[in-house]
Amino acid sequence: MSEAAQVSVAPIVRLRDVSKAYFRAGMRLPVLEHVDLEIAEGSFIAFMGPSGSGKSTLLNLISGLDRPTEGVVEVAGRDLGRLSDGELAEWRAANVGFIFQLYNLIPVLTAAENVELPLLLAPLNRAERRRHVAAALDLVGLSPRVHHRPTQLSGGEQQRVAIARAIVTDPRLIIADEPTGDLDRKGAEQVLDMLQELHRALRRTIVMVTHDPHAAERADLVRHLEKGRLL
Amino acid sequence: MTLGQLAFKDLLRNPTRLLLTVLATGIGVLAFVFLQTVISVFYSGLAVTQPDRLAVRSKISITQPLPLSYKRRIESVPGVTRITYAGWFGGRMSETREDFFPNFYVDKATYLKVYDEYVAPADQLAAWMADPCGAMAGKSLAERFDWQIGDRVTLKNAVYPGEWTFTVRGIYAGRTPQIDTTLFAFGYRCINERLPEELRDYVGIYTIVVDDPARSAQVAAQIDAMFANSAYPTRTESERSFQMSFIAMSSAILTAVRIVAYGVLLILLLVVGNTLAMNVREKTVDLATLRALGFRRRHVAALVLVESLVIGLAGAAVGLLLAPPVLSGFVRVVSESFGPIGTVVITGPTYALALGASVGVALLAGLLPALRAARLQVAEGLRRIA
Repeated sequence: MSEAAQVSVAPIVRLRDVSKAYFRAGMRLPVLEHVDLEIAEGSFIAFMGPSGSGKSTLLNLISGLDRPTEGVVEVAGRDLGRLSDGELAEWRAANVGFIFQLYNLIPVLTAAENVELPLLLAPLNRAERRRHVAAALDLVGLSPRVHHRPTQLSGGEQQRVAIARAIVTDPRLIIADEPTGDLDRKGAEQVLDMLQELHRALRRTIVMVTHDPHAAERADLVRHLEKGRLL
Repeated sequence: MTLGQLAFKDLLRNPTRLLLTVLATGIGVLAFVFLQTVISVFYSGLAVTQPDRLAVRSKISITQPLPLSYKRRIESVPGVTRITYAGWFGGRMSETREDFFPNFYVDKATYLKVYDEYVAPADQLAAWMADPCGAMAGKSLAERFDWQIGDRVTLKNAVYPGEWTFTVRGIYAGRTPQIDTTLFAFGYRCINERLPEELRDYVGIYTIVVDDPARSAQVAAQIDAMFANSAYPTRTESERSFQMSFIAMSSAILTAVRIVAYGVLLILLLVVGNTLAMNVREKTVDLATLRALGFRRRHVAALVLVESLVIGLAGAAVGLLLAPPVLSGFVRVVSESFGPIGTVVITGPTYALALGASVGVALLAGLLPALRAARLQVAEGLRRIA
């Protein structure tokens, strides 16, 4: 799908002249500079670039985990810069699902409990939560492993649990930060198949950061970053 | 799963560390209870003082006696409703300190009318009253020496020379657990009649009951004024003040014990604080993940505070459960080596203080780690390697 086709649909993400810098020992360290970006709802976009190019920072800004130094970040109709910390947390819970490179599952919880975590913040009763969890784990093919803890699962299975956790609240945006970075080839393929399936079947917007060109091929659109600038 | 269950499961992340921290807290609580109980033993006399009871003693020194003839004059003072007298006898069964126990002479006719916190069966009371050399022994004391009614106890004394034999006529108990049941009391008449002329008709202290505690100061002033210019001036004070004058003799020790007790709490604060800080550091990525998923600052702070609360409560439970057997073992060992140390009970306020201190210290220790967890920058926290 072409870039033009993507943006013809209403954008779910809109960044206008966004810069991000960190300050260390009185020095300004720019990480992103004057980024303008629109991502259409329902697209699957991958960002690539060398280490330190600003990929993860861009992902953090889009997902509301960080705030820009300058510019405006609008996601799902909200100007994230105007939201308070609490509002931002609430917004993330409702709109964003996260998939991390190292899965970030809570080790003391079972697969089902990890998936249930985001639902604890939603106005659902226990039975409804259980139904959602079962559906999400079924979707990623892990129904038989619901009571297993992360240490009892392979890397690929853990990442599938993380995917189930990301989709269980039915968010508009799925953020995947190097989702295959810690997996072997087979596990990586399974995860990428699953992301593609989610994108196709559920029309979820997926924003992925990856070093792996093979993984990036699965996206509709690939954008490159270098030295904090979007190419 | 609920947020509470999440907090509980989060607790079990490192069960060994949790167990060791709870045990450390428990031992700290035990030490605190132990030291507080030692302090409360000193103050146990205060617990049974009555606001309407005044002690009349020699103004010169507590060891100086007062004439028996003062009794009629004191009881004639308006506001005095009852009066009794007693004195330290200080007899010993042998020279060994293990045999020591506190023994007093009392005015049998009036003593229990003033000190109604001591209770004994009616037949034993009657037998005690009828025999001037009959003695009333506290329950703990009788158990210690395995005394039965009718047993004879011979005491030697340097102040009142000779051997003095008393018959156990009664065994008293206290109305409350705080009442001292290690005392031995016999009739003043028994010894007064055998004393040389110059020692006869003198008593240790008078205790009076006033009709209105609000008028205590006025009554006390009136009594002291009555004897101000005599050879035996008096000092009349509330029973509480009287007991405090004994406690004041040990004030330096008590202050040291208090400092150690609160030092224990400070150590607890550091131990629990260090554990919680370590836990927060180790689960930074998980806390950041929760924040990314939409949990608020207060949620992650609550996770840390629940952990500190559980440590405080579990530590208190361990310490308070261990305290009674440990303390009674200590009392037994000390009593066998150094003689009786009075009635030692862990009071309700001590339990409450220890529980409050344990929970308070644990929550205080959790405050800084909880704040750190709440202030965690999500993006930065996610970058950390678990």
